[in-house]
Amino acid sequence: MRITARLRKHIWGYLFIVPAVVIFLLFLWMPIVKGFVYSFYHIDFVKGNSFAGFGNYRTVLHDPDVWTATKNTLYYMFLCLVIGFWVPIVFAISISELKRFQGFVRVAAYLPNVIPVVVLYGLWRWLYDPVGPINASITSFGTDPVSFMTDTNWSMISLVFMETWQQFGAAMLIYLAAVLSIPRDLYEAAEIDGAGVWKRIRHITLPFIRNIIVLLFVLQLISTSQGYQSQMAMLDGGPNQATLTYALLIVKYAFTRLDYGAASSLGVLMFLVLGGLAVLQHRLSSREVN
Amino acid sequence: MRKLRKASFILASVALLSGVLTACGSNDGNGNNGGNTGNAGAANGGANDGGTKATDSGTNAAAANGGNAATDDAPAKKITISIYYPTPDLVEKRALEDDKIKRFNEKYPNVEVVKSDWQYNPNEIGIKMGANEAPTLFNTYATEGKFLAERGWAADITDLFNGYEFKDQMNPILQNQFIIDGKVYGIAQQGYVTGTVVNKKMLDDKGVAVPSYDWTWDDMLNTAKAVADPKKGISGIAPMGKGNEAGWNWTNFLFEAGGEIQTVDGGKVTAAFNSEAGAKALEFYHKLAWEANAIPKDFALGWGDAVGAWAQGRTAMVIAGPDGPVDQGLNQGGMKPEDILVYPMPKADANGKHTGVLGGDFLVINPNATKDEQEMAFKYATFDYFSDKGLESVEASIQQRKTDNKYFIPPVIQYFTDNSDYGQKVKAVYDKYDNVYQYSPEIMSLLDGKPEAQFNTQDYYAEMTLNVQSVFSKKDVDIKAALDSSAKKMQEKFYNNIKVE
Repeated sequence: MRITARLRKHIWGYLFIVPAVVIFLLFLWMPIVKGFVYSFYHIDFVKGNSFAGFGNYRTVLHDPDVWTATKNTLYYMFLCLVIGFWVPIVFAISISELKRFQGFVRVAAYLPNVIPVVVLYGLWRWLYDPVGPINASITSFGTDPVSFMTDTNWSMISLVFMETWQQFGAAMLIYLAAVLSIPRDLYEAAEIDGAGVWKRIRHITLPFIRNIIVLLFVLQLISTSQGYQSQMAMLDGGPNQATLTYALLIVKYAFTRLDYGAASSLGVLMFLVLGGLAVLQHRLSSREVN
Repeated sequence: MRKLRKASFILASVALLSGVLTACGSNDGNGNNGGNTGNAGAANGGANDGGTKATDSGTNAAAANGGNAATDDAPAKKITISIYYPTPDLVEKRALEDDKIKRFNEKYPNVEVVKSDWQYNPNEIGIKMGANEAPTLFNTYATEGKFLAERGWAADITDLFNGYEFKDQMNPILQNQFIIDGKVYGIAQQGYVTGTVVNKKMLDDKGVAVPSYDWTWDDMLNTAKAVADPKKGISGIAPMGKGNEAGWNWTNFLFEAGGEIQTVDGGKVTAAFNSEAGAKALEFYHKLAWEANAIPKDFALGWGDAVGAWAQGRTAMVIAGPDGPVDQGLNQGGMKPEDILVYPMPKADANGKHTGVLGGDFLVINPNATKDEQEMAFKYATFDYFSDKGLESVEASIQQRKTDNKYFIPPVIQYFTDNSDYGQKVKAVYDKYDNVYQYSPEIMSLLDGKPEAQFNTQDYYAEMTLNVQSVFSKKDVDIKAALDSSAKKMQEKFYNNIKVE
């Protein structure tokens, strides 16, 4: 009786969330559950599926490509942190210190984000060309040109530089909002006490945006662990699998080898690892809200 | 009033929910939602003035009913087929297809032809079939015949083919690639033997002698070395090095060296590309890269990248089905016919053969389509074959290209043989126009096409791509060890699971 009364009271609320629940159910939760189920099946959409037990897991765990892809992914995540993670922080703090042209610099820094990826890849292919502008600058000092795309030592680094250039603007805006929300009187008090720029950044700015830094750190780990777009479009995982990431291998298992069961098992393994990171991110964002 | 609002909201929610569910629902087999199979074609049938309307589906319906219905009077059954339609950039081909659809509908007014510009992609076909979204008639490549047949993704059209009046005039070089264990799974369209297309102007500009058509690997190496200018970013040859195209390009050299991709014996498939011939072919790639310094520094080139580089004058030679680069060079790169030389693949040595991978385009019928739809798709696919109307359509396309100041590039191999009556008719049309690119008769006599691997072709190409990249990026690579390792991998991962019956 009490349930009915409560239902009647909130009926409109429940009805309003029905479309969202249905859409999430069909396009998000059901694929996740199906991914788990498919990982135990040999998938054949036309002739019918057959139960494979842990066969798909055995297949992928015995595949040397999986370990290569895992190592490459960890390397890619590491490079993204070393090359790219600090860039938006530095830009945000620098822009916040600007007295003039702050709006212009903010837009200019964000601009690469709106470039379509096809244009981006074409542009950087040209920049990295053996006779392109970067190599022209390098060789003008009398050194040999660098094969940015096809030297296995450089290929992943080159992709990370390209992605950092394109993507730092979005994170920078988040940092900038956090920096600008710091009460100005703290800086004024510090200035009166004789604190210079570096001391203000170290003792006021960084402590204030610490939680945002940690949150974006975790988010970056999650997103880079799933990276495959530029690796696939620019180099198809090559040369010599130097840019074959875990997510790209899943794509190859599914759409090149057409082994959806094995691809699903790789996805499940990744889901378990990322699930841990997602929990961590959730806790951090709750702390941020509090 | 409030009740009315409530009712409206509930109705709207139900409508939204059903909309979402409908969007997710499965189709009837061809990406067409239901409603087409009913006998709603009476109006069309009534308007039909031809005597053929009931002979196709109507006869089947009469036979199925066991009656001897007057088929000419029976309303033709409404049938919908979705067909492969060229992409928007191929304006001339689209015009040809539109004209064909119009003429087909004049003959078969009960058939609705739905255009699908989905282009066959090995990475997408699984999803298309799984989602029941593949067109009734779709295009594919020569490599895919066995694969599609084994997966059950190509309809067995043996009966339709056997009933086809021109079946004996189909070019066997092409058609046989889709006849597997005596069953027919596809209809040949056009084909090629992979060759080398040379930018002659680049050779002339650098004073490099043009080799004879009967050339060897050494000739290719020396020409590539002579024309390359790495400091300016110009390479002598651009073997593809990104994606599966890299393995496909290299396989030509494997064949020229006398090698095989795999052998089938006693029901077992065995990797064979790690032979002496394989090592020799990979060593030739090594020489091109490290001895001649003749390949692009950025060798991660797919088909479009390599052919584009050739058309832009950044490389003098490219390995491909010749009509592709010639089309790009003449119609997009601003080259003149005299700047382009189409060569057969070079022979390994003076005693070798100019063997190139045999490839081509085929049409395949969706096995999920009904028998009526399959029959109509077959009729559509072969509608212009061996017909004067088809010839007129080709001539109109040549004339249109002439008006647009463009060239018409005929396929190297057609679905008919060149010396057949129809082949002679087509040649007579080509000879009338100066904007039809003519392949040298000399190279046509040298071409030696060899079909691709029967089993796991794309997996083999993917594996060989790694070796090609390895040779291009590491000077000290152990070629034999790399090939042996790849052969072992292919054997254990794929070939051991195959039982050939």
